[in-house]
Amino acid sequence: MTLAERTLPGIVVVAFLLAWEALVRARGIAPIYLPAPSAIAVYLWRMIADGSLPVNLGITLGRVLGGFAVAAVAGVGLGVLMGMSRLVARIADPWIAALYPLPKIALIPLLLTWLGTGEAYKIVISAVTAFFPIVISAYAGIREVDRGLMKAAEDLGASRRQVQLKVVLPAAVPSIFAGLHLGMGVTIILVIAAEMIGGSSTSGMGYLLMQAGQVMETEKVFADLVVLAVVGALIVKLQRWIDRKVAPWAH
Amino acid sequence: MDVIVEQLTQVWAGSAGADLVALERFSHRFASRRFSCLLGPSGCGKSTLLQIVGGLEPATSGTVRIVDPARPGEARPPGADSVMVWQGLNLFPWRSVLDNVAFGLEVHGMPKGERHERARALVASVGLAGFEHHLPGQLSGGMRQRVALARALVLERPILLMDEPFAALDAQTKIVMQEELARIFDRTHKTVIFVTHAIEEAILLGDEVVVMSARPGRIKEVLFVDLPRPRSLEMVSTRAFAAIFDRAFHLIREEVMTSMAQQAAALGAA
Repeated sequence: MTLAERTLPGIVVVAFLLAWEALVRARGIAPIYLPAPSAIAVYLWRMIADGSLPVNLGITLGRVLGGFAVAAVAGVGLGVLMGMSRLVARIADPWIAALYPLPKIALIPLLLTWLGTGEAYKIVISAVTAFFPIVISAYAGIREVDRGLMKAAEDLGASRRQVQLKVVLPAAVPSIFAGLHLGMGVTIILVIAAEMIGGSSTSGMGYLLMQAGQVMETEKVFADLVVLAVVGALIVKLQRWIDRKVAPWAH
Repeated sequence: MDVIVEQLTQVWAGSAGADLVALERFSHRFASRRFSCLLGPSGCGKSTLLQIVGGLEPATSGTVRIVDPARPGEARPPGADSVMVWQGLNLFPWRSVLDNVAFGLEVHGMPKGERHERARALVASVGLAGFEHHLPGQLSGGMRQRVALARALVLERPILLMDEPFAALDAQTKIVMQEELARIFDRTHKTVIFVTHAIEEAILLGDEVVVMSARPGRIKEVLFVDLPRPRSLEMVSTRAFAAIFDRAFHLIREEVMTSMAQQAAALGAA
């Protein structure tokens, strides 16, 4: 890496923030429209200090993890079964084909009727959404395993079952993880969206965002967005780290 | 173990009834402890034959019998007595060198300690001691080739099937691997069926060179290689080598021309 490659990205970020700050101050823009970075930082600190940010972030992360866990277990499970059994694949295929393109947000009114506004609704809506990319990637991963590897294993004496457990499943791991990445992304989106829907929530980052927006505390809105962006980036980094630990050969 | 192939025909069903005859009435006895090379133009059914002999592909018609010359009355079906070294190697990328080599022992239920001990010895015998815990992706092409060879040899099956195993190697590595294989053969005397389209390689390694015709694959001629063992690359410049080479070259040249004409006709038809 050259010196420019190492230092410029940081310099650009700082320059951007300084320009933003200068613009807001020079033009006297009202904080309702665009608060200065310094004002956002102050709000961020206050929200951490009074506990509202850590508490609501924790609640949202809990819901994300809950929804993701349900989607991951169900999605990987069904995807692997579909990949290994033609019968299961044929039964599941029309359902996936019909339900995958449906925008899952459209299910919110129905789920509110069935489940109310509690935790079950938030976990179900995020899990249902994340389920599809996970199941599709797992199924594709199993189906696209190199036939040569399977034949080689068979030639070395592996039974059908051993080929599936010792060759097909490990070979599909990178694809399964790619699906989990996508699933995590949509889980976060759906949990925040569910928390934002009018009156359906009294906690979580989506609720915090909505509440701050309604009373035009734009500094808080920005502070929430900063936190969501940082947390999202950290989750992606964590997943990449897990990928490299679990399947170093795929990188 | 003898591999007795009789009247083997393989037809691949094509679209619109355009069936492809890959092999037609191929008969040959690949004798015990003999290194046989199958030489022919690409598409002549060499790999197909190897897969059928390995029990990995059912034949359209004809038989493959595995017979111990000491007990000529008992024939065994193909599969359990042979092991394949693949053109694309087919190493398991998530398994270490040691666990790749131990795979065949693992699926046969050998306990971990024992199979690792035996795999370790094999890894060392192909010159990869110290690389036991590397992944295939971390090795060079020649080293991966050695892993594939060790993975096949660890099972100690009497028949070794090799499908153009050195085709992807650079010239220097190829020479080293050929000499290594010749050494392994001199030590173990397995029945080897080695598919190649390199004439020099076929003569250098083989006791016999089975020259195949262009599609459909049939035997055109069987050449005996009476060069002494152990073989070495210097033999390439001997008169005996040159005589066999000329004969094989002449035969192959005809078949390659036929094969090219077939391809041109197929393209014209399409």
